[in-house]
Amino acid sequence: MGDILVGVDVGGTFTDAIYIDSNGVMKVSKVSTTPAKPEIGIVNALNQIVRGIKIPELLHATTIATNAILGQVKLELPNTALLTTNGFKDIIEIGRQNRPKLYDLFFTKPRPLIPRKFRYEINERVSVNGEIIKDINENEITNIANELIKNNIESVAVSYLHSYINPKNEIKTKEILSRYFKYVTISNEIAPEPREYERTSTTVVNAVLRPIVSRYIDMLSSSLKEFGTEKIYIMSSSGGLVNTIDASERPVQMIESGPAAGAIAAAELSNMLSIKNSIGFDMGGTTAKASAIIDGKLEITTEYEVGGEAHHGRTIKGSGYPVRFPFIDLAEVSAGGGTVIWKDEANALRVGPISVGADPGPASYGKGGDKASITDANLLLGRIGNKLAGGEVSLNVELARKALSNLGDPEEISISALELINLEMARAVRLVTVERGLDPSSFSIIAFGGAGPQHAAMLAEELGSQEVIIPPEPGLFSALGLLMADSRFEARLAFPKDLQDAFDKLEKELVKKVGTLDYFIRLLDVRYQGQGYELTITAPEKLDKESIEKSFATVHYNTYGFTLNRPIEIVMSRVFGIKVRPKPYLGEAKEGIELKEKGFRKAYISKSWDEVPVYERDSLPRGCKIKGPAIIDEYSSTIVIPRGWKGEVGPHRTVILKR
Amino acid sequence: MVSWEIIHRATSFISEEMGVALRRSALSPNIRERADHSCAIIDANERIVAQAEHIPVHLGSLRVGIKNLLDYLEKEKIELNEGDMIFSNDPYLTGTHLNDVTVISGIYYKGKLIGYTANKAHHVDIGGPVFGSINPQATTIYEEGEIVPPVKLVEKGEIRDDILKMFLANVKSPLTNEGDLKAQIAANLTGIKRVKELIDKYGLDQTIDGWENSIKYGRELALKEISTWPKGEFTAEDYLETGTDLSDLVNINVNVKITENNVTILYPKLIKQLRKPLNAVFGVTFAASSFAIRSLMKGDIPTNEGLYSIINVIADEGSLLNATPPAPVSGGNLETSQRIVDVILLALSKAMPDRIPAASSGTMMNIMLGGYDKNGKPWAYYETIGGGSGARPNGDGVSGVHTNMTNTMNTPIEITESTYPMFFTSYKIREGSGGEGKHRGGDGIVRSFKVLYPARLAVMSSRFLTNPYGLFNGKPGKPSKLTIKRKNGSIEDIKPLSVIELFADDEVIIETPGGGGYG
Repeated sequence: MGDILVGVDVGGTFTDAIYIDSNGVMKVSKVSTTPAKPEIGIVNALNQIVRGIKIPELLHATTIATNAILGQVKLELPNTALLTTNGFKDIIEIGRQNRPKLYDLFFTKPRPLIPRKFRYEINERVSVNGEIIKDINENEITNIANELIKNNIESVAVSYLHSYINPKNEIKTKEILSRYFKYVTISNEIAPEPREYERTSTTVVNAVLRPIVSRYIDMLSSSLKEFGTEKIYIMSSSGGLVNTIDASERPVQMIESGPAAGAIAAAELSNMLSIKNSIGFDMGGTTAKASAIIDGKLEITTEYEVGGEAHHGRTIKGSGYPVRFPFIDLAEVSAGGGTVIWKDEANALRVGPISVGADPGPASYGKGGDKASITDANLLLGRIGNKLAGGEVSLNVELARKALSNLGDPEEISISALELINLEMARAVRLVTVERGLDPSSFSIIAFGGAGPQHAAMLAEELGSQEVIIPPEPGLFSALGLLMADSRFEARLAFPKDLQDAFDKLEKELVKKVGTLDYFIRLLDVRYQGQGYELTITAPEKLDKESIEKSFATVHYNTYGFTLNRPIEIVMSRVFGIKVRPKPYLGEAKEGIELKEKGFRKAYISKSWDEVPVYERDSLPRGCKIKGPAIIDEYSSTIVIPRGWKGEVGPHRTVILKR
Repeated sequence: MVSWEIIHRATSFISEEMGVALRRSALSPNIRERADHSCAIIDANERIVAQAEHIPVHLGSLRVGIKNLLDYLEKEKIELNEGDMIFSNDPYLTGTHLNDVTVISGIYYKGKLIGYTANKAHHVDIGGPVFGSINPQATTIYEEGEIVPPVKLVEKGEIRDDILKMFLANVKSPLTNEGDLKAQIAANLTGIKRVKELIDKYGLDQTIDGWENSIKYGRELALKEISTWPKGEFTAEDYLETGTDLSDLVNINVNVKITENNVTILYPKLIKQLRKPLNAVFGVTFAASSFAIRSLMKGDIPTNEGLYSIINVIADEGSLLNATPPAPVSGGNLETSQRIVDVILLALSKAMPDRIPAASSGTMMNIMLGGYDKNGKPWAYYETIGGGSGARPNGDGVSGVHTNMTNTMNTPIEITESTYPMFFTSYKIREGSGGEGKHRGGDGIVRSFKVLYPARLAVMSSRFLTNPYGLFNGKPGKPSKLTIKRKNGSIEDIKPLSVIELFADDEVIIETPGGGGYG
């Protein structure tokens, strides 16, 4: 037996497991997620594919961090306290003083994760230049520690003003508190950067998550003993795998674990296919996400709010808890198979944002749902068959028709609903490209998620794109992404004085923490003096002023379309230490077999009803060409090829649609 | 046959995409981060079909502005040909204050004018004696900044350099204005391109028909909503302070009439416009009135002519709420607009007690501070500070938040201290400032700082002399309070619309109002 790679992606509804050996043999499974104890679902999924085989290493994407903050599962948040500079204990409550909804007189702000009674003001102060104006008084901290113990506090967050430039007071506080508490998070260790609200919020989110994530990792490790698992790596929001120590110390980095895995998979696949610019398009049951891959690289952002609401495809500022950590930039809209089709008070046809959810699911699932959803429309139009997941799920077209009939002529409603949902998704794709001044029509679309391949060609038509790529196992592509990622560890320093020295130190620090690394990515957050926002650039080889200015000017121009004649300022130096991991061999489709449809289905695909040939994906020979309209069924999804498009089985078992 | 809903959605996404394009290439953080701009698609009959707005004052004021602008062009016989763009910031036409610059262009399809794209964006400085062009001591508009009447900024696809230079010669940081103005041009071009693509795809007739339905739809949703409201006339009275004494309080009265078909908001007994910058142009009055009405509607109603068509606003010309030249108007947006919302909601609270909270803080607490740093370089800081929101019929108000006509973010303390010679001593909730009641009003904010060098402080604010009202026996919120602790220990109470000289190490303590209590 050669090396095996095993990944498990725990989503809101399904837990997906994937196994690939060195010969490209791939096994997949999809089981229900067990929200209160995710490790049970993981073991179930693994048992389906690797019974009796040892898994020395498990690669893992998890929603535990997000779910805990959202309060979606019965995870009680631990009692947590916050220590701040005197006069500033309410920073997490005021936030940026904006409200998330403009026209709602009953708006609310997210409830502070730490109530006021557990926020303590400390007599300390550091100036903007890092000079200590008021030192820590050890007795004061000790007294507070005793009070915290009385209040059953489990985890403590510390965030003082200007600690990103001089962390001495925070470090001293941590030293004292650590005598009493297992979990102490200081802001300088988690988000050493200016902007007190965002830094404090990140620190608080981390402090709240630490006990939960630590316990989860312990539970998972012991559950995996039966598979002989020694190491677990967890996907971070920036698209790299981290070890369990890093994950439990800085759980804020796992918030977008699953979506990051999908985006990484899309980026890796486009590199394997030598595609320069592409869009990772992930459409599942409730949401569609778009990520931009430009010159083979994913765009990273550090602005993120956990638990936030989206509007125009972007998170509404002030609707969630900001987390300043690198995230893959994703635009997200409420559009998935379960998105509800409905009519509003003025009788206008609407799709979303509500979803039928996993229970009862679309009307056609026959689990008691009576609301029409996008899946029902696809079924009624024959775009998907009545057997999914290799026959495990049966869909009832009459139930779909009944639900759609409540809204009008079921066929017309279905056609319009699909157009509307494609518009909604095109909006997300336009965001990630137009925001960067790029034209989406020049991008290839890498479509995945259970519903992605059904909609990808229509979406491409809406955007003017010419090419759609469907990876193998599109419904489990995020799990596959776990196998394609490298390990990636992050460290940063605000306002570095000597750049060379700062990078050297950060890199040494990382090596000390995680062992040898293969290479480093050095990044700088730079702005023009007086600007309120920074841009991240790759540090030039030569770290002199001129080279940095030049790199920054290029990035600034590409991002905003102009440059300024002003001095620059380096706000942050950041290092990613990369440990390269073996990449899976995805295998190739067989050659020399005959292309043969498995049957025909009446389907409405390109503005008319046709008897459309239906193929089984696994039976398609390499290099074969299929003219649209046609349909390709497979275990985890359905590929719809409209008229004017041609499908081809490409390298790495992809299906490539071109027009 | 494509359903109109698709044209409707696609058009509203185009207005959003214009906003993305504007934000992407704008230069000032005001637009980039605070999104102080809005974009719209307008049909050939001068009606807004789709508007993407992020700041309440742009709701409605754009509608007034577009109508005035197009009337002006017709009257002056200025042709808006293919490839042309007109810009203006004349508040008496475009509807807010000088800082808001509107750019409009025609959408031509195969040589035929089929509609317009327009956008409005707040320029940080627009000339005049004060950085930021909000001058609390202005007695006429000429002391606020430069006025640009509607002129062609772009002709046959080319920016007119002479006009641009003239515009930029009057502002303090021309590079910023130039960047923002060019972003506005880019936004309109994006809108034109995408509307043309829409027509290419669905056909001209279908598109126009879709727009017609879109407006009808907005109107229908709005009418459905008001059909559930009690009918009749509802009145109320609130106050605006125009100076430091009780004698400077002026009444703002309102009469709101709800019928099956519309809501008419009449402001009787208005005082004449003032020689102080608290006058509102009609666009602001319409915007604040529309905001109050829109906020009472549930569900998401598209911002278009359909919604606007059910709202009538009447205020006498030459009065505080419908000022005429040369009255100064910079604060009409900021403070007077808040009081308009307060008084309308108070009037309707009798009719819809379960839908209306008690008064929110009612002031944006505009703080303008400037001076020279140790190197003699001038600096200027502008901030607005949130307060408490009014208690709701079903729960407490929210503390430390911007309400009603504004929603701008604060400047982080760490950023402020690194940019300006200021040292913060607190930023916290003003505990106990929300009005008592069955449900408590949200608490205001305490924000205090010392200046490191002599500086001049200007304050444009209100709710010092009156409190945010409580409802149904709920107690009012605490009023604004602004104190200066001089270095020598003496304490001064500061009033709104003041300009004060500060010396090194003087401490300014700003306390914003709490919301009113309920029940």
